[in-house]
Amino acid sequence: MNRPQSASEIDDEAAAWAVRLDAGEGAAPELKAWLAGDPRRSGALLRAQAALDLAGRSLAVYGAGAAFSTAQPLRPNRRWLIAGGGGAIAAGFAGAGLWLAQSRSFETQRGEIRRAPLPDGSLIVINTQSALNVSMRPRLRHIQLRRGEAWFDVAKDLERPFVVAVADVRVRAVGTAFSVRQRTDGAEIMVTEGVVEAWRKGRPERARIEAGCVFTSDGSGGAPVAAPERIERTLAWRAGQLVLDGDRLADAAAQFNRYNARQIVISDAAVANEKFVGVFQLNEPESFARAAAAALGADVDADQHTIRLGRLAQK
Amino acid sequence: MEQTRNEIVAWVAGQILPHEREVRGWLRRSGASDADIDDLVQEAYCRLAALSSVAHIGNGRAYFFQTVRNIAVERMRRARVVRIDHVTEIDALNVIDGEPSPERVAAGRSELRRVSDAIEELPERCRTIFKLRRIYGLPQREIARRLGVTENVVEMQTARGLRLLMARLLKEDVDETKAAPADEPAAKRKRDR
Repeated sequence: MNRPQSASEIDDEAAAWAVRLDAGEGAAPELKAWLAGDPRRSGALLRAQAALDLAGRSLAVYGAGAAFSTAQPLRPNRRWLIAGGGGAIAAGFAGAGLWLAQSRSFETQRGEIRRAPLPDGSLIVINTQSALNVSMRPRLRHIQLRRGEAWFDVAKDLERPFVVAVADVRVRAVGTAFSVRQRTDGAEIMVTEGVVEAWRKGRPERARIEAGCVFTSDGSGGAPVAAPERIERTLAWRAGQLVLDGDRLADAAAQFNRYNARQIVISDAAVANEKFVGVFQLNEPESFARAAAAALGADVDADQHTIRLGRLAQK
Repeated sequence: MEQTRNEIVAWVAGQILPHEREVRGWLRRSGASDADIDDLVQEAYCRLAALSSVAHIGNGRAYFFQTVRNIAVERMRRARVVRIDHVTEIDALNVIDGEPSPERVAAGRSELRRVSDAIEELPERCRTIFKLRRIYGLPQREIARRLGVTENVVEMQTARGLRLLMARLLKEDVDETKAAPADEPAAKRKRDR
């Protein structure tokens, strides 16, 4: 067959290869032969792989829980239960045995953003340098956020509330989605879907936080504030992105430094106070520094450990 | 410094792919045929695929536009059939500057939403498999077991979903071209000069 393939035919094959490679399949010689068959194929494969990556990010942000509400209900993943501890026996017991089997802890390194599906169909997306314990009890789904920040997409279960504890702050949900970030004096809670309730241990006051609202539980007695734009922007970390919307460069640099060992240092106070707009990959501090420098007429001096941003010569 | 394939794929997903509709819209407004547009865009991805690192590229969007323009200009020089009347007017469209605008930030955000909407519109079985694979990271074998199908079906459905998704994402830019006359005055100004 000598007819050259159409772009669309190449895209079909590239999609199949992207999926095969993602599943860890596909023999190297076979792939090599396919790529060698037409110079256009390497580009099509890169594009298909990028689309698959983008789909994963998009699902992390928007479309998580719904996979379990399909016409064909899915059973909790037994493999997860077994892997959780206790071995095969635990999965067969109710009560204490199961409780133990379903306890698990997660910890992320700097720059690591991790998706942790739970056996009830809920999903946790854990931000950089965070740690949490999950325990799935018969009447309670309990999360102890020990450090950092996480976003929770909670599968509805009226019989089993979902409670996140961080220091003495408690956040309770039935079926909803929200994030919790530890602060020195409490926690910041952002609700993306439904309603959650927050309180401090041993205190009677309850705050009701609706979708699109932010609540800072720091003992100051403040109320939830509606800020849907800010929430969407802040939670872009779930897709590995940082969205700036008039933020100071110094604050943006501090955000990048949460995720990367390679630290951004701004050596010029005027540059640090410049405001910036843009969407960046959290793991690409240098791209950010270079874009900022180009926009502001500043200079970048980057080595293995540090990316310095400033003005070498004042104009 | 060499980057891994995964790093480059992630960069393309974040910095190139979200701008493809815009690049195609620009080519279409410049008078390129659908087949030429496909060719030019595919060639741009080929050049990206040949890079061992993308760390030197500050602005993916500008890079994408520039690469496509360069390819178009090269082809015209070699007298290949590419009908792009105003390909050099890229500067007039104000796409090469390094400074991201608020509109562009909004565009980047809406791209993720667009992808998620497209996923919701996939045929049901395709969508379920896609989500189990992408969100929950379940192995193909596990998905096959749960749904009572063969692994081959899971793989084919995922590829089908990906293909529908890619097609769907580019389709919308036909409407966008009509809905975005904002670029026209800029292009016109340049022509009038």
